Amino acid sequence: MLQFSKFVVVRAVLAIFTLVLVSFIVFSLMELVPGDCAERYLAFKSSQGSVITAADVQAERVRLGLDRPYIQRWGSWIINAFQGEYGDSCILRLNISQLLGEKFWLSLGLCLSALILAYAIAIPVGILAATSKNAFLNNGLRLVSYLGLALPNFLLALMIMLFSTVVFGDSLTGLFSKEFRDAEWSYARVMDFLGHVWLPIFILGWSATAFAIQTVRALMSDEIGKLYVTAAAARGVSGRRLLLRYPARHALSPIINSLGFDLNRIFNELPIVALILTLTEAGSLLIEALARSNDQQLAGAIIFLLTASIVGINFITDIILALTDPRVRRSIVG
Amino acid sequence: MTRLLDVENLTLQFDTDEGRITAVDNVSFTLEAGEVMGLVGESGSGKSVTAKSIMKLNPSNAIYSDKTKVTLHLDDGPVDIMSLQTSTDLKVIRGGAISMIFQEPMASFAPAITIGDQMVEQLQIHTDMNAKRAQEVSIEMLDRVGISDAGTRFKQYAFELSGGMRQRAMIAMALSTKPKLLIADEPTTALDVTIQAQVIDLMKDLVKDFGMGIVFITHDLGVIAQTADKVAVMYLGRLVEQGAVRDVIRNPAHPYTKGLIAALPQLDDLDVPLQAIPGDIPSPLERPPGCVFNTRCSAIVGDVCSSAIPSFSKITDSHQVACHLYDEGASK
Repeated sequence: MLQFSKFVVVRAVLAIFTLVLVSFIVFSLMELVPGDCAERYLAFKSSQGSVITAADVQAERVRLGLDRPYIQRWGSWIINAFQGEYGDSCILRLNISQLLGEKFWLSLGLCLSALILAYAIAIPVGILAATSKNAFLNNGLRLVSYLGLALPNFLLALMIMLFSTVVFGDSLTGLFSKEFRDAEWSYARVMDFLGHVWLPIFILGWSATAFAIQTVRALMSDEIGKLYVTAAAARGVSGRRLLLRYPARHALSPIINSLGFDLNRIFNELPIVALILTLTEAGSLLIEALARSNDQQLAGAIIFLLTASIVGINFITDIILALTDPRVRRSIVG
Repeated sequence: MTRLLDVENLTLQFDTDEGRITAVDNVSFTLEAGEVMGLVGESGSGKSVTAKSIMKLNPSNAIYSDKTKVTLHLDDGPVDIMSLQTSTDLKVIRGGAISMIFQEPMASFAPAITIGDQMVEQLQIHTDMNAKRAQEVSIEMLDRVGISDAGTRFKQYAFELSGGMRQRAMIAMALSTKPKLLIADEPTTALDVTIQAQVIDLMKDLVKDFGMGIVFITHDLGVIAQTADKVAVMYLGRLVEQGAVRDVIRNPAHPYTKGLIAALPQLDDLDVPLQAIPGDIPSPLERPPGCVFNTRCSAIVGDVCSSAIPSFSKITDSHQVACHLYDEGASK
């Protein structure tokens, strides 16, 4: 138990170290973008008709603390970032935490839900596909699966929107109806949210599910062919017990291992889906920040949060693996 | 001696994409209680498939012919193995009255389940012991097969044990339900030679104590000479020679058996070159007509070898061979 706590602490320290390292890379990349926040803002001001001099830019730099050395600025940025404080957006001049508000958590929630949906479907279906000898079922699954992999999410989103607009007269876009968009959370708002949120979760989960089914099926087929399964059958273990306690139980570890990557892949697909469904979530805000306005402060904050989520998930899956797989556990506890 | 197992006309084909492959062709043998039978042959000769048929463990694309009859004689009457279908019925031949140990002790334990849990599971499937009693019996068995500190090993995983220890644990698990028949599929092949001898001694001991019959599969005639009472030689799914182990090893009759014995390295005369049997075992897709060994045989009698399947002829009362050399009226 003591050694296990030690393992958790070591992994947590490693996770934080990873995060600091990534934050340094993110911060450096932000620095490499030509120009800085002061220039960017004043350029924006000047496009609004104000006359800006070099002295104004310098004064703005001092005001923002941009005249301090690079490492020092990174230091204060990372310390604030760990406290959930990311400074002000370069262009919008609004506090980033307030700007992001619940958007980031909504985005993360969407992606996690899609991930859960994907595996909730993929695990039983994948196991069935690996064990069933029914050619019709297998070919059907393969077809649906390839369709899921081949059909881009945005196309699916567009098709569903088109369909629902024509049939229901409602485009199903957004996460909230108009009247709830800026309202306080309430029962009605939650229900309205649930009425909208299934669509992005479904669309994001679509290709993730197809991918996950293939993974689960391949892992299961692998495990089923192993000698320990035959040996268990030779000892009289049979039926569902033989399937779940032996191959399924052992196929689980690599799946747990890949959850972090899966989440990342889903998050990558979020912005384009969000754009089409006009969701105001963090992914599209990221694209906005990076592509349109070069808002490095905002982009950095979002990338930092995203990295933190993935590092967090990986930390959790490491702990779960250590709990479920004795090979991992014994390598820690000895 | 009392009869334990009758295998009659065991014929087994696999339904594959390339067509039906005959893996075992009309194999018959018997085993008495307390007797050890060695099943010998090269890889691909069908010895493992034959052994697995006794537990109906072959994959679901296996098709047994109608003539196949496998009977296990238990105290409360004979069991017709081919007619067993449901998992409840199959329990008796899977871990109940028949147990099997495999070549790779590492791979035959589930990696993420403790050895103890797997042993207790088997006992609870086959007996009405409660978990506590099953644990006591398992630890006793581990102790019986010579595993030191059995209580600790019980809680360990297969990857934490040495190779010899794992095979001992496998034997302990297989014998925990006190089976009447033990099928050992190359149980010593993956072990060091010194450990091999220990495991073989252990198995011989246990046969005496438990009065079991053993089907011992191996390609190592040396192991057979030490262990078995009788031996059956398989080639490409057919039995070519069988008999008491002394007869077969001292006076091998079939050219294939002679070849196998000549191929053994001789430690007392290291200058003698090794004699390999020429050629490779043919693919089961291209089984030669007539005697299956005719493509590699050095003692062809004539056209009969590639046209007629040889039937068994008696050499002595306890020694039979299926070869045209020994046909009635054939000149030797």
